[in-house]
Amino acid sequence: MSHAATPTLSQDQLRLPRSAVWRSLPWAAAAVGLLALVVHWLLGRGAGAARQAHFSYLVAMLYWLSIALGALFFVIVQFATKAGWSVVVRRLAEHAMITLPLLGLLFVPIVGGMHELFHWSHPEAMQHDALLASKAPYLNVPFFSARALLYFVTWTALAWLFYRRSVRQDLDGAPQATERLQRLSGPAIILFALTVTFAAFDWLMSLDPHWYSTMFGVYYFAGCVVAIFAFLALVGLLLRRARVLADVITVEHYHDLGKLLFGFTVFWTYIAFSQFMLIWYGNLPEETIWYARRLIGSWGQVTLVLALGHFVVPFFYLMTRATKRRGATLLPAALWLLTVHYLDLYWLVMPILHPEGARPCLLDLTAFLGVGGCFVALFGRQLRRHALVPMRDPRLAESLAFENY
Amino acid sequence: MSQQPTTTELSLNLDEPVDQRPPLLLGDNSFRGITEAVCRPVEWVPPRGWYIFFGVSLALLGVLVLSTAYLFYMGTGIWGLNNPVGWGWAIVNFVFWVGIGHAGTLISAILFLFRQRWRTSINRFAEAMTIFAVMCALLFPTIHVGRVWVIYWALPYPNQMGIWPNFRSPLLWDVFAVSIYGSVSLLFWYMGLLPDLATLRDRAKSQLRRVIYGIFALGWRGSHRHWQHYERAYLILAAISTPLVLSVHSIVSFDFAVSQLPGWHTTIFPPYFVAGAIFSGFAMVVTLMTIARTVFGLEHIVTRRHFENMAKVMLLTGSIVGYAYAMEFFIAWYSGNPFERFVFLNRAFGPYAWAYWIMVTCNVIVPQTFWFKRLRRSLLWLFIASILVNIGMWFERFVITVTSLHRDFLPSSWDYYSPTFWDICALVGSFGLFFTMFSLFVRFLPQVAMAEVKAIVPAAHVHHATLHPAAPHAGPGAPAAPGAAPAGSLATPASLPQEA
Repeated sequence: MSHAATPTLSQDQLRLPRSAVWRSLPWAAAAVGLLALVVHWLLGRGAGAARQAHFSYLVAMLYWLSIALGALFFVIVQFATKAGWSVVVRRLAEHAMITLPLLGLLFVPIVGGMHELFHWSHPEAMQHDALLASKAPYLNVPFFSARALLYFVTWTALAWLFYRRSVRQDLDGAPQATERLQRLSGPAIILFALTVTFAAFDWLMSLDPHWYSTMFGVYYFAGCVVAIFAFLALVGLLLRRARVLADVITVEHYHDLGKLLFGFTVFWTYIAFSQFMLIWYGNLPEETIWYARRLIGSWGQVTLVLALGHFVVPFFYLMTRATKRRGATLLPAALWLLTVHYLDLYWLVMPILHPEGARPCLLDLTAFLGVGGCFVALFGRQLRRHALVPMRDPRLAESLAFENY
Repeated sequence: MSQQPTTTELSLNLDEPVDQRPPLLLGDNSFRGITEAVCRPVEWVPPRGWYIFFGVSLALLGVLVLSTAYLFYMGTGIWGLNNPVGWGWAIVNFVFWVGIGHAGTLISAILFLFRQRWRTSINRFAEAMTIFAVMCALLFPTIHVGRVWVIYWALPYPNQMGIWPNFRSPLLWDVFAVSIYGSVSLLFWYMGLLPDLATLRDRAKSQLRRVIYGIFALGWRGSHRHWQHYERAYLILAAISTPLVLSVHSIVSFDFAVSQLPGWHTTIFPPYFVAGAIFSGFAMVVTLMTIARTVFGLEHIVTRRHFENMAKVMLLTGSIVGYAYAMEFFIAWYSGNPFERFVFLNRAFGPYAWAYWIMVTCNVIVPQTFWFKRLRRSLLWLFIASILVNIGMWFERFVITVTSLHRDFLPSSWDYYSPTFWDICALVGSFGLFFTMFSLFVRFLPQVAMAEVKAIVPAAHVHHATLHPAAPHAGPGAPAAPGAAPAGSLATPASLPQEA
């Protein structure tokens, strides 16, 4: 509708106001993050703590990575579908996805500490296990490292392509950028799907190298999508409390984010349930062992909390229109889902280290704050540097005027 | 055809400017024009082609009736089933038809929730197809049981024998899943038909027509109150149908995947089956729509843009199917399980390799051509590709069902399965049933949801008159989201310098 009337935003709506707490976010987050990483490193040097340190770090890494990957997926899909409603929230996702190169850097300790994490990386384990030996062409240290590098290079390249063109459009307003990204979005989805799948196989599934599930890549992906919608709603609403973007991201956009959050929570459940159901029903020991581990000791309770917290509670809570349209009710939901999403990853990883039951410890917290601090610092820095919305996107007017009906 | 779109209109419709939404309809898209175009095939004397099509379909339906009668008389021994292959074409056909039935509800429910307004031109058509496909699908497990006269035992009802169906069997879940899907789809379709049936009633020239359409229109008068209830019911039904789109084929996939058979027991089956179902359903919509729009003069309502969008859906779902094939293969190797590995090598290089490669070609390679705009817009190629896709999807179910069974764990019981004459009759006959229903549908019911299409034309836009005083129809960008209201309604302070 730009030919009819193009609403534009005033400069102070496009930038973080000088007084906003958000301006100090990068420094604060970086300080917390670095401090936490140092503490994590120090604590992890203690006798017998190395494994715990690595496992905690892996959970934290996969958690923040899932938000960044979810953001990349969100941005690609907006272009692939030529979406209009989402333009005003897209920049927030763009800032989240541009953390991918940083996360790639932060991933190095995982490759370095592979022997603490992955049973298959020990040559003697391979020797005494014919099944593992048969997987050696895939599960070996050089190939694993090369793949990790390939995933991060791919994600960085994709994120950078989309990010650069989008911020450049702020300056030149060229509609060609949008067209270009629309064309790129199709192949980008293919690359995204393949890399995320194999990353999930490598970093999560191969923790238990005997176990396998064709669905596993989709499971991690479903978590990423839940995470990004929760993240966008949360960041948007927090910004709104600071009177930033308050009349730009309107109740209509929150309603849509809430709907998508609801929808993908159900999608996650669908994938999680299907995987569980088929393995439980087939009852083959080589497959059920994975779930059996997660039902022993306190893991059984964690599983129950996950089922209730990641599905039952948000399902009924987010079903009504009112909860999605009010910040006071949507914000807790977003926060809650980001929390249970962490629990989900914790539940995927930790039973390998602590088969006897969940053992939360300080290292979990330091790793979470360490990686998270770096993530938030970069996110906050980008937020300061660029316009808060893609200010000259050809579909901005449509997004600003968007209403549910 | 009087509504033949002009060249400029066509390019407007196919252009993809980023700053405005292209018009969805072409030609005469006044309310009256739409009503006339859609009602004509219901009110005219059909062309000879329709009679020929209907006649052939009826003949094929006859094949179905006769072969089924013979089946009841003789038993399932007349089919090609053998000892390791206890599920043959009948199950393949069942899964095939359920899959076809997925496009309708996807279009009417999921695309509705995603505000894909182009769906209004094709949803009625696809929903009708869904219902006929579900009818064909339900036929096969029913006749496969052998003693069809006791098929009602599949339903859990209190009985003096105290016998219940096995609730732990996915075959019973199928009974529930498919029949619920069929009922909800029928209800959704019928509810959407009400305003259009009322239109036909009001236009009826003969008393008989008025009475019949009047009965089915359930007293629809188009009052505001009616519309308000209608819209609310539509939203609720869409919300109910959305999980059904996923659940039906997931449950069908459970028929296979809960077993312990390599090639069947794999966790990706539910989403993979759903994607495949949508893929084949859209292919069938494309096949039939390319013909119907030409025969019935609906080219200005179902435009090439609609086909392009359907091609994109097929590209997406076809690629998901390809992804699933790849994951199955990779995990079969990664599992290290020799039986898993064998089954997949046997699929690709064993006695049924020909079927496997037909499947891969049609389902994975053919949709990849839709990356190219020219091929997405070529109706001829779309028509051919859509038929190829459905051939491929039929073979997919054949490959899954038969190749996993024919060489089981015990090599001494291995056998080669081939269909008999009666298997072929059942498949061909089911197409007879489908096309018979389909030809009756295009003859007696409006193929396009008139009321819904009218809601997306420029004239239905609240601000239409103020925005386009000079151009009453087809203002570019006008049929965009209704949310695209002019700036005056914004909460945002809008100082309006033009950009870009």
